[in-house]
Amino acid sequence: MIEKKICMLGAFAVGKTSLVRRFVSSCFSEQYQTTIGVTVDKKSMTVDQTPLTLVLWDLYGEDEFQKLRTSYLRGSSGYLLVLDGMRRATLDLALHMQERATDTLGPVPFVVLINKHDQRAAWDITDRDLAQLAERGWSLLMSSAKTGQGVEEAFLTLARAMLAPSPPSPTAGNTHGL
Amino acid sequence: MGSDTSPRAPDSLCALLLQRFHFVVLEHIAGTQFRILGHPSPWLFRLYPEAEASQQLSVDARTPVLHNFLADAAEVWQTHDAPIGRSGFWTDQTTFEIPWHFEALALREGTSRLLVIQHSTATYDQHASVLQRARDQALQQHEQERGHQRTRQDLTTQLVDMERSRDDVAAILQELGLATLLIDQEGLVRFVSASATSLLELPSPLANPALRWDSVLPLTKADRQTVQSLLEQPTAQRERVRCHIDTPAGRRLWLELALHDDPRDRRSKIVFLHDMTDVYHLRRLLELKAHYHDLIGKSRGMTQIYEQIQDLARVDSTVLIEGETGTGKELVARALHQASARRSGPFIAANCAGLTDSLLGSQLFGHKKGAFTGAIDDQQGLFEAAQGGVLFLDEIGDIPHTVQTNLLRVLQEKEVTRLGETKPRKINVRVLTATHHNLSQDVAKGTFRADLLYRIRVARLHLPPLKERKEDIPLLVTSFLAEGRASMGKIIHRASPSAMAALMDYHWPGNVRELKSTIECAMIHCKGDTLEAADLPPELRLESTALASEPVPTDERSRFVSALGQARGNRTKAARLLGMSRATFYRRLTELDLPSS
Repeated sequence: MIEKKICMLGAFAVGKTSLVRRFVSSCFSEQYQTTIGVTVDKKSMTVDQTPLTLVLWDLYGEDEFQKLRTSYLRGSSGYLLVLDGMRRATLDLALHMQERATDTLGPVPFVVLINKHDQRAAWDITDRDLAQLAERGWSLLMSSAKTGQGVEEAFLTLARAMLAPSPPSPTAGNTHGL
Repeated sequence: MGSDTSPRAPDSLCALLLQRFHFVVLEHIAGTQFRILGHPSPWLFRLYPEAEASQQLSVDARTPVLHNFLADAAEVWQTHDAPIGRSGFWTDQTTFEIPWHFEALALREGTSRLLVIQHSTATYDQHASVLQRARDQALQQHEQERGHQRTRQDLTTQLVDMERSRDDVAAILQELGLATLLIDQEGLVRFVSASATSLLELPSPLANPALRWDSVLPLTKADRQTVQSLLEQPTAQRERVRCHIDTPAGRRLWLELALHDDPRDRRSKIVFLHDMTDVYHLRRLLELKAHYHDLIGKSRGMTQIYEQIQDLARVDSTVLIEGETGTGKELVARALHQASARRSGPFIAANCAGLTDSLLGSQLFGHKKGAFTGAIDDQQGLFEAAQGGVLFLDEIGDIPHTVQTNLLRVLQEKEVTRLGETKPRKINVRVLTATHHNLSQDVAKGTFRADLLYRIRVARLHLPPLKERKEDIPLLVTSFLAEGRASMGKIIHRASPSAMAALMDYHWPGNVRELKSTIECAMIHCKGDTLEAADLPPELRLESTALASEPVPTDERSRFVSALGQARGNRTKAARLLGMSRATFYRRLTELDLPSS
């Protein structure tokens, strides 16, 4: 069984823990519960006939109180960069975290998730912002941990990228969900 | 453990404390291999069951965060005085029934490379609680900012929409030239259209944007009260208010104010200002042209008379009013009196025709008691009675020669001597005279004194006979019908086309007086609300037999067609038959969809 470590990165309260819960146990809570440190979970799946166990490192959200401890990224095969569509500041922070992840991990696959799509009308992040992210060649998906939209697809997309035999090309992926 | 109170060795005590605080102390052997120091907390054996027997364990993927931390710990162990390395909290939610929180410390003590792992629920919870509150607050603040931003955007959008709507409405009002005010429930003017600003000569924009409506519309007290009353009444009971204001530049505006409820808020009112100044002046002009005091007529002859009266009213000279009988000479004299500065003085009219020398002399100049048979008392004459005013002597061409002489002296000396007296009395009287004679011919015949003629004919007015101003007949008829309605109580509003045609065709030897009596007579005979040709005296009907024999059409269109037929297509004559001007006739033709040519 192949085991791959992936990290959930993003600002606080963007929905990283909710995405993991939705993916691992198909449940969701409206109550925001901040994550301290890191919570590790596992999910086994089959990707294109390949059995795979994802070790999900749900890292605390970064803010002025908690800065990302890059040592947590060590050994990650990829990561999900999560944004809150309703808070534009999470986009700026995500861009910053992506740079630090790349510095630490090198060019590993990642997928950008614009979360809380169930409240699309209230988004601060605009189509123009999304287009600019897409112009970077990043894999973009819109998701909702609440409804489950895009969650499975995000992990699957990342898993496929991690299992790809060719050297990982994180910035060459197609945009999704646009 | 708690019941054992015997003294303990320090090492033993420390081991107990570590156990009590759920600490596990591992000493690094090599690689991922560790030796357990002291008595570990039982949770260690839940994670690594094999360690219970061997007191050793290999940190592996069962504790991935701890395993990950070994690389950081290795760096700490390499240096003697390195600070303690911390793994940070991690949560294990697979081994235990509930999530357990741990933190690992790496330190070097002498040659021992130590790893201290703490199951730290209290510390974690405390840390989590503080962070949760901070983040909840941050999220709440973010939501508030979003709310403020949304509100600001909504208000901005509404403001932009409102401004656009206001600009649109203002543009429409401007394009339509509608002078409009919007008055709120407090009576403050909230909007003034550009047309209103221009009309009322207001500064643009208003220096004080919240002026009361009566400051913007400086009405008279009565008009102000009327408007205020209408503002408080329901729409259905509101009528247009006719009023006037004087603009800052001193221009008098005649306005009609139409008040409407603001459909958005019925407490506010929209006031449309209709500038009727031109209409007012035109109407005044028409009234002036059609009427002058009691004189009626808008023919060129009559308007010239009005102008002459106005000129003569400004002077105090004697005036000779000439004209056929019944042309309204006395009315002209009265108009002249009313238009002059003597209007507050008396107007005395005397008909000089048919009176003997003595009687006329006595009437005009007065007499002393006993001056002649029958003079039983002192009597002032008409000259004295007209003191300060006007004496109108009608039919002056008929006065006897001796009276002419006395009259000449009175006019020259401006003093009068009563019959039987010798002492003259000063008089201040303007003398107006009238005659249907040709006085020049009378002078030539020797029946009228030339010097008196020159004295009374300082100014002269010649009234045209009615046959020379027939266009005034409809106006005169209308006026006489109105008088008749008032005096007889018969509701007769108009003359039929055939009756009007007969009136127009008649030659009126008795002039306006005859026309007036003719209308009175016809009204007596009239049975309906329209004077018919049959109601007219026979002499008029004889002159218009052809017209009278025609059946009288009842509806407007038929009347026009009939009139055109009778006039053999001559529009001017047809207009006359219908008793209206050519302009009105052509306008009505268009309205009735009849060919105008």
